[in-house]
Amino acid sequence: MSITVTGNIERKGFGPGTWALVSEDKTYELKDAPEELRQSGLKAKVKGEVRDDVMTFAMIGPVLEVKSFEVLSSD
Amino acid sequence: MVTLALRLWVVMRKLLILCLFVLGLGFALFNFKGLASQGEFDSIVLDFRENVPAAQITAQVRAIAQQYNVNPHLNSEFSDADNVYIVKGDRNFLKALKKSPLAKQTEYIEPNYIYKALEVPNDPDYNKQWNLRSINVEQAWDETKGKGITVAVIDSGISLVPDLKDTKFVPGYDFVNDQVEANDDVGHGTHVAGTIAQSTNNNYGVAGIAYEANIMPVKVLGFGGGTVADIAEGIRFAADNGADVINMSLGGRGESQIMEEAINYAHSKGVVIVAAAGNESQNSASYPGRYAHVIGVAALDAAGLKAPYSNFGAGVDISAPGGAMAEENPAGGILQETVNYETGEPMFASYQGTSMAAPHVAGVAALVKAAGVTEPDEILRVLKQSARIVQEDPLNHFGAGHLDAAAAVKLALKGQITFRDFFRWLRDNGYLNLRFWIDGGAIALAPKVAMVLGSYLLAWLLRNYFPFAWSWSLASGLIAGSSGLFFLRGFYIFDLPQWPFRVMGSSIPELGNTIFGSSVLNPVFASVLVPFALVALLLGHPQWKWLAIGSALGVASCLAVSAVLSPAVWGLGTGALARGFLIANALLCYGLAHLAAKPSEQSA
Repeated sequence: MSITVTGNIERKGFGPGTWALVSEDKTYELKDAPEELRQSGLKAKVKGEVRDDVMTFAMIGPVLEVKSFEVLSSD
Repeated sequence: MVTLALRLWVVMRKLLILCLFVLGLGFALFNFKGLASQGEFDSIVLDFRENVPAAQITAQVRAIAQQYNVNPHLNSEFSDADNVYIVKGDRNFLKALKKSPLAKQTEYIEPNYIYKALEVPNDPDYNKQWNLRSINVEQAWDETKGKGITVAVIDSGISLVPDLKDTKFVPGYDFVNDQVEANDDVGHGTHVAGTIAQSTNNNYGVAGIAYEANIMPVKVLGFGGGTVADIAEGIRFAADNGADVINMSLGGRGESQIMEEAINYAHSKGVVIVAAAGNESQNSASYPGRYAHVIGVAALDAAGLKAPYSNFGAGVDISAPGGAMAEENPAGGILQETVNYETGEPMFASYQGTSMAAPHVAGVAALVKAAGVTEPDEILRVLKQSARIVQEDPLNHFGAGHLDAAAAVKLALKGQITFRDFFRWLRDNGYLNLRFWIDGGAIALAPKVAMVLGSYLLAWLLRNYFPFAWSWSLASGLIAGSSGLFFLRGFYIFDLPQWPFRVMGSSIPELGNTIFGSSVLNPVFASVLVPFALVALLLGHPQWKWLAIGSALGVASCLAVSAVLSPAVWGLGTGALARGFLIANALLCYGLAHLAAKPSEQSA
């Protein structure tokens, strides 16, 4: 299931930490976030697939495997 | 068949309790010797007599200070009236002081023993582990540390950081890289394993909850998470390889058939399964925490409130410390040793999350299982029932309440008599107090223990000739014949005659003299006569017969021990004659038991 989500990139401090995409109504955990997205405060439009078959230690929300992305602004 | 098995079970249980009793005595004796000589102290108490003038005390104190280059000081501002001084020193200094002329002017000079609460670990950063104190783990450690229980940590693997050096591991598996070694390249699983069983009392780092339990590392997660297929295989692997408890500090939103089946499989094999509730701050736990047969754990902060991130509602069975950290302030988190994923180096780190809460419950589940509760549903019941209830909890933030390790272990042990209970009973009733044994009528403990053990030894010997079943009647006979309930002899109750206690506290051979308060054996009772009469009376009865046989063996042991240690028989003196009499009767008693036990007829 491919979706497009627009939101802010945030670092979530659970265990060693993970990258999240926080949209207006939901927090997604980015699976293997690309290097360019690993920056808190970025606003990005991410196209990806929600991986319901994947579980994580951070457990912050649906796991979004990034297919493509577009950085909208850096703050 | 069923009644036979039931009876056998009852007999076995009673025998076990009896054995514990005897063992406990032996242990008490052993410990008892140790207490006085093994106390720790680094200072000495000097209590000067009150009638010594103050000026003289000051002069004495100064003299000690100069002679030994020490600094004696009053213990506290309240010590002045009693003249209680404290001075640094060891055993040798204590001896020197006791021999010095100073001793004459003191009421006593004694070691200033350091009293420690039991089971406070010496790990230097234990004081930062608010989470362990908040679950009352110290009192639980008084009973068990999880020995013999295996906890599988299904996570990102475990790296052998220094503070896991003394922790016991059993082989696990890495389902991510398909290899036996399950090292942690993330730094999560190592932290989780630390909460469960960090090496404790090793003078290093921090403590873990069930630190004598075995850890099974099962790696299913990398940085990008793990698939339900791998996790399900991990669960089955753990269940098939002897895990008692599974901890899953992981979760997701997808329901999965393969995972649910694996969980049901593990549950059917008696495994307790614990999982984190999730960190979305949402109503209802994530998977696998929300499955039936999985204990879903919500997270608490240091104040016992729901951690802001913790999921709640459906699927939350219980709550435990997960920590909540303000930015850059690690104090509110859970501190364990883990690995730095960037460098691979060990580091102590404070983490937060329901990931940290779940292993608290897994660790306590291991303690509960070690305490003797085996069924997973029963363990969950114990955990829930012992949890500290939160009165106002309309959204089910806390499930059954806050995890309480001490209450859980206590509840698990309820109805079971453990060796520790017995020891505690001895201690609480003053039996381990030296004064009790010296002033309290001088019931020498060692001969009594020798008599009881001797009677069991004789029974064991006899059993080599004629196999017979241990029974409650036999055991009662052994006790009655050898020592009686001898601890009762120390009972003195106001306004009650003491002789009934003396009688109950006496063995058969001692009955003839204890009523009169004498310690010289009466030759009528201290002989084969009473056992002979008992055997003659009871031989026809399949059960009571064994009471008679037991008493004959017990008397044999009692007489033999008396012959060696204190041969005093009324009319025969305390020498060879008395000794010969006692030994001859002991042999007759054993012969009598031998004859009576012979299966000449069909017996029980």
